[in-house]
Amino acid sequence: MKIGSMLKDVLISFFSAPITEKYPFERPETADRFRGKLFYDPAKCTGCNLCSKDCPAKALEIVVIDRAAKRFVARYDMDKCVYCAQCIQSCKFKCIGMSNEDWELAALTKELFTVTYGKEEDIARLLEGNALPNAEPIKAG
Amino acid sequence: MTTEAYLQRAGEILAPFAKGTNNPESNRLDVQIAASDLPAAASALTDASWGYLAAITGMDHGAEANELEALYHFCEGSAVTTLRVRLPRVDCPEIPSVSGMIPVASFFERELGEMLGVTVVDTPDASRLFLPDDWPDRVYPLRQGFKPEQAASIQPNKTPEPSKAGNKFIVPIGPQHPALKEPGHFEFTVDGEIITGARMRLGYVHRGIEKATEERNWIQNLYLLERICGICSHTHTSAYSQGVEKLAQVEVPHRALAIRELVAGLERIHSHLLWLGVVAHEAGFDTLFMYSWRDRETVMNLLEELTGNRVNYSICVLGGVKHDIVAEHSASIHKALDFLEERIRYYLDIVTSDTTFLQRTRGVGTMTHAEAIRFGALGPTARASGVTRDIRLDAPYGAYKRFPVSLITDERGDLEARFVVRMKELLVTCFTIRTIVDNMPSGEIAVRFPRKIPAGETVSRVEAPRGEAFYYIKSGGGESPLRLHIRTPSLCNWTSVINKAVGHQLADAPMLIAGMDPCFSCNDRMVTVRRKDDMKTLSWSELREYGIKKYGQKK
Ligand code: SF4
Ligand code: SF4
Repeated sequence: MKIGSMLKDVLISFFSAPITEKYPFERPETADRFRGKLFYDPAKCTGCNLCSKDCPAKALEIVVIDRAAKRFVARYDMDKCVYCAQCIQSCKFKCIGMSNEDWELAALTKELFTVTYGKEEDIARLLEGNALPNAEPIKAG
Repeated sequence: MTTEAYLQRAGEILAPFAKGTNNPESNRLDVQIAASDLPAAASALTDASWGYLAAITGMDHGAEANELEALYHFCEGSAVTTLRVRLPRVDCPEIPSVSGMIPVASFFERELGEMLGVTVVDTPDASRLFLPDDWPDRVYPLRQGFKPEQAASIQPNKTPEPSKAGNKFIVPIGPQHPALKEPGHFEFTVDGEIITGARMRLGYVHRGIEKATEERNWIQNLYLLERICGICSHTHTSAYSQGVEKLAQVEVPHRALAIRELVAGLERIHSHLLWLGVVAHEAGFDTLFMYSWRDRETVMNLLEELTGNRVNYSICVLGGVKHDIVAEHSASIHKALDFLEERIRYYLDIVTSDTTFLQRTRGVGTMTHAEAIRFGALGPTARASGVTRDIRLDAPYGAYKRFPVSLITDERGDLEARFVVRMKELLVTCFTIRTIVDNMPSGEIAVRFPRKIPAGETVSRVEAPRGEAFYYIKSGGGESPLRLHIRTPSLCNWTSVINKAVGHQLADAPMLIAGMDPCFSCNDRMVTVRRKDDMKTLSWSELREYGIKKYGQKK
């Protein structure tokens, strides 16, 4: 039986540096496997959409502009994504990855959360709503 | 006894009531019984001390079959005996209650009533447990054909009936409180400082996950179920994967199972340290709270390094795990465990020796072995009362046969014992994790998994940090489950807390509730004393005087 049993801990801490992280002044290091923002490489993609089929949050869709010419556009909603990495798991061609650097994703408007990957002209076309004639319709994940 | 012997014994006990039996899996026995035989069959099992009631699953077989079914799952070791009762698919079919002999069934019956519209005759409390008070009557969310729009025709301002207290005081606690994030509502009936009755209401964070699984594919459900609980997310993904893998008859590589057990161990460490801090805080021992949470960061960082996230690790996939554990990880695991082991030993010493703290825990909320069994307590709450119940040992799953844990129990049954059991359990866990890291089986970490799961049903049980988590999974052969039922350990442990609170001081209630490891709240400070018909409001000093007079100077 004793009183003040943790006094020693308190004294040690009193004379040592605080363990609190100084974020945002010092950015903490994240683990290699940390799951941050998603990135996509259309060069390897086949447009099979397995990734979007298994996405639990309907945060990802791959729009096929021209399958033969490897022209795909990925639409990714950062705010819907739950950062589970199932899309990486489902993709057989390793087109998707997640950054361990890019994790400060807060934004002031919702629009900034929607990210598109692909050739600029394809994205522009898609956003204008006049996809190429052989474009497949956009499917919800 | 072996599983076969247990099942054979259950078959003998239930023979007088059985209308049909079969063995859907090697560890399961299904017995069809008539609704009227249910209490007799349940008491036959209880009287023979055959297992405990783990869950009641309600199911709607749809308009074509025109039937509802209630499944009463009893577990003993790895044997599961299910009493199957078929009911007509009408508005309120009747089924007798079993709460008289099995108190924990009361919660399950309330759930059955509100979710499927079954009237449980003679159940002690038929009020809503999970659904909101303004949910429309006669709309049952787990019946097939339920549309979310049906729930929209709610009368928005319907307030719940106030509890009728007569001449008693009821101290309402919650649902919102500053101590923890989770809301829950308790009503303690008190006589002065002494609690004479307790009631609870849950469901403030009920998200309809069981229903939602029916609309997602098998893979998507993994991440939905992971979000049932942020503290024991891995419990849910591993219980679910294990069940689905059994249904799909896919053999998961040993290495993947070992990694799952390793992550489960780390999750237990972070969960118990979190709990230690919370209860210390409830007892006013904030130094312990701060330091235990500081040390918990070590294991959180380790989880981030191994899995990619601090919570919702998402390491399980159907058929294995996402990430391997390699040599550099072993080093950081050993290093983190060196530190944690030392701290856990230190905390074990503090909680068993600090005079002030012991006054809040020693001899408080004592639950005897018989009570723990009767109330259906699970996990460390039960083991602190000497109940040898741990799914990791009783029904070893995953890699627990290869890397067993040792059982920790304590005979005293009070709050102190629950601290001791949890801290000792962590030391055992650290040891097991080291063994896994040093003897990691070689091979693949995942195998290919089918998108469609063959029709069938299975039961999957794992030991979460708080006790047994129970999953019932039914597949119709498609890409989504037909029915998924989950019973988490806290639901069972509530029964014991609610019953044990009676006779204690109101001031002990926070500790008692936090002691089983859920969540807790604060009390209001304004007291209205109602004497027969006149109402009187006491000022703080009057109340103090009243208290001193009533209890003498001491208390
Ligand atoms: S990380 Fe998960 S939620 Fe996010 S896009 Fe991929 S599958 Fe969808
Ligand atoms: S799964 Fe891979 S290959 Fe298929 S559409 Fe998605 S990114 Fe492209």
